[in-house]
Amino acid sequence: MAQNAMNWVTLLAANDRRGKTSGARRTGPDELIWKLALPESVRSSPVLSDGVVYVTCRDGHLYALDSRTGKERWKFRAGAAIDSTPSISGHLVLFGSDDGSLYAVDRTAGRLYWRAEAGGAIWTSPVIHDDSVYFGSTDGAFRAADRSTGKIRWSRQMEGRICSTAYASGQLVYFGCSDGRIYALEGSSGKDAWIHQAGDAVIASPAVADGVLLAGSEDYFFYALDAATGRVRWKFETDLGIYSSAAVTGGRVFFGGKNGYLYAIALADGKEIWKSKPLRTLTAPPVAGDSIVCIQTFYGATQAYDTSTGEELWRANLGGSLQSTPIVTDDAVYIATYPGVLYALR
Amino acid sequence: MNRRTFVFSATLGALNLGLGRLSFGQGRSRLESLEIDVHAPDLPLSPLGMPGLFPGKVVEVFHEESIVDRRVSRAAIHTMLEDGMKALTGESISRNAWARFVVPADVVAIKVNPSGVPGTVSSIPLVREVIQALNSVGVPNKNIIVYDRNSNQLEVNGYHALVPPGVRVVGLDQRWSVEGETRGGYDPNVFCEMDCFGERETRSYLASVVATDATKIINLPCLKEHNASGVTGCLKNLAYGSFNNVARTHVDPKTYTDPVIAVMCTAAPLRSKAVLHIMDGIRAVYHSGPFAWNPDFVWEAKTLLIGTDPVAVDRIELEIVERKRREVGVPSLWDHNPEYLGTSADMQRSARKSPYYREPGHIRTAAELGLGKWELNQIDHRKLRVV
Repeated sequence: MAQNAMNWVTLLAANDRRGKTSGARRTGPDELIWKLALPESVRSSPVLSDGVVYVTCRDGHLYALDSRTGKERWKFRAGAAIDSTPSISGHLVLFGSDDGSLYAVDRTAGRLYWRAEAGGAIWTSPVIHDDSVYFGSTDGAFRAADRSTGKIRWSRQMEGRICSTAYASGQLVYFGCSDGRIYALEGSSGKDAWIHQAGDAVIASPAVADGVLLAGSEDYFFYALDAATGRVRWKFETDLGIYSSAAVTGGRVFFGGKNGYLYAIALADGKEIWKSKPLRTLTAPPVAGDSIVCIQTFYGATQAYDTSTGEELWRANLGGSLQSTPIVTDDAVYIATYPGVLYALR
Repeated sequence: MNRRTFVFSATLGALNLGLGRLSFGQGRSRLESLEIDVHAPDLPLSPLGMPGLFPGKVVEVFHEESIVDRRVSRAAIHTMLEDGMKALTGESISRNAWARFVVPADVVAIKVNPSGVPGTVSSIPLVREVIQALNSVGVPNKNIIVYDRNSNQLEVNGYHALVPPGVRVVGLDQRWSVEGETRGGYDPNVFCEMDCFGERETRSYLASVVATDATKIINLPCLKEHNASGVTGCLKNLAYGSFNNVARTHVDPKTYTDPVIAVMCTAAPLRSKAVLHIMDGIRAVYHSGPFAWNPDFVWEAKTLLIGTDPVAVDRIELEIVERKRREVGVPSLWDHNPEYLGTSADMQRSARKSPYYREPGHIRTAAELGLGKWELNQIDHRKLRVV
């Protein structure tokens, strides 16, 4: 396996949060490289950088593993279970914990670099933009911290839990909230740029593509909003709530519904291109390459489809996922399952 | 700790409770005898504990607009809950109705039913309304716990993300933290012990949330058929969602859900702390419960059942499910004709098939154990139609 074929440094691969992978695996993995059973379940997604896989576990540890062998390089213990997907920024790996802390850990040695406090469990993945770290918390507050010190720069209290990982771009930072709103705040001050009121909670993490913010809601709608103004460009209705964040590639938007369908809709106008056969409940985000889109289902399998036609290409029946996304590279596929097993497959 | 032994005897057709014996009527299970030891604190029965302040009283609230354009309406749920609580208690103000059950210092555990496809679980609008009602009498969010045995089912249905900040959502199968202290899921000192089918682990432990943390429990079961126990209502939601290692009581086609569900509900912490039952029948399930993968078996009943007597509420639920099954022409839940046995896959295709001989008699057994009223002529069934 080629080393460092690509890096996958945060939730949905990169800070554009489009869930877009360069991997184009038309055939499924058929060889186990290694697997590791962690002590408790894994709710988050693994990330990959410079030959190291980082994964958080509900046993309260962040694990750094050699991507070729699965051998543990180090582990770092937080104060409680971890549900947050780590993000890598320079020499730091950052993540939140159920103990209400955001941790920044030196990724070479696994030592604590700084720690910032929130008032509730942090399930979101921290997003790093310029010299700030943005993160929401289940206490309903959205915070910006200094990347170097962890000092809180500003905090905004909302009326619902924040389980939506933010997207930061230019001057604005976007996220959803269980108060039913999608917020666009000024990154420097935390002041409102615009707010969109949906019909119910927004748990999904927004993606932004071609100036359009994309996110589903518990109100059964998937929204496309003008990223600058919040104006609704289009919305697409399903028949149950949407927790799954979106992946975007080639003018297509992919997301899973709680109704069990993986949808492919047109970025331009929100028209349905195809939808999968029902996969029971889907809550995890998909990842997409130029020709395939992959999603982990809650009830057991990782499935891949042709992005154009929706034809099922392959499936790996390894265990379900609530929020975890596979890392799909040209060389390997890394899958973390809710029961707590991490697989590296070729 | 106190230990009580319950002996269920098929040959005698009787349930021996300590030195006493309670006779059963028709429809009794044909299983082998079962001995159940209950190890639980020897607590005096709270007047709020089951059957609670209003034995035999069930308020059935219907609202045509509780589902609008396929979505559960929180506004309708709000009205249904207010009117139902006032009808149950006789209070003219909703807040006063809730104050009959909880005080500001209580730690309130809300037992939801997350075992089902989205839409057939305790609905989020109902959970939010109950939390708001608890807030109205002074219970802060930090003293409210939403719990169930299965973390994954709680999470996939979104409870962790959709309840207000401060409310704790606890899956009993995982560790959780409170004010920096890590807690385990089950209390090693409170358990029911029985050998149903020769299983290796014969104990079922009670949730520490119930045994230790909570002072009151608000039960939010769903109006659903269950392929082993007949219905999964107040009693099953409490018992099988608060004790662990319970799937062992049913090995197809036989089930000991009767009497195990009923006996578990007599354990002192559970019985004393469960003060109110609000059954979510906005969407109801008449077959292939509890998960209801086939939407053909789900109907929009648009109903809440409210009471303090879990037996009476479950009895009304049973009548509703039986009525629905008659309407669609499928066998009664009591029917033990072997031709209706099938696999789980069969069950999902046909409303005539089930992997088990269903045993809804656990509701009557609970009545015999003093948990509430079973006979319809002893149930004060009030029907409200909200417009």
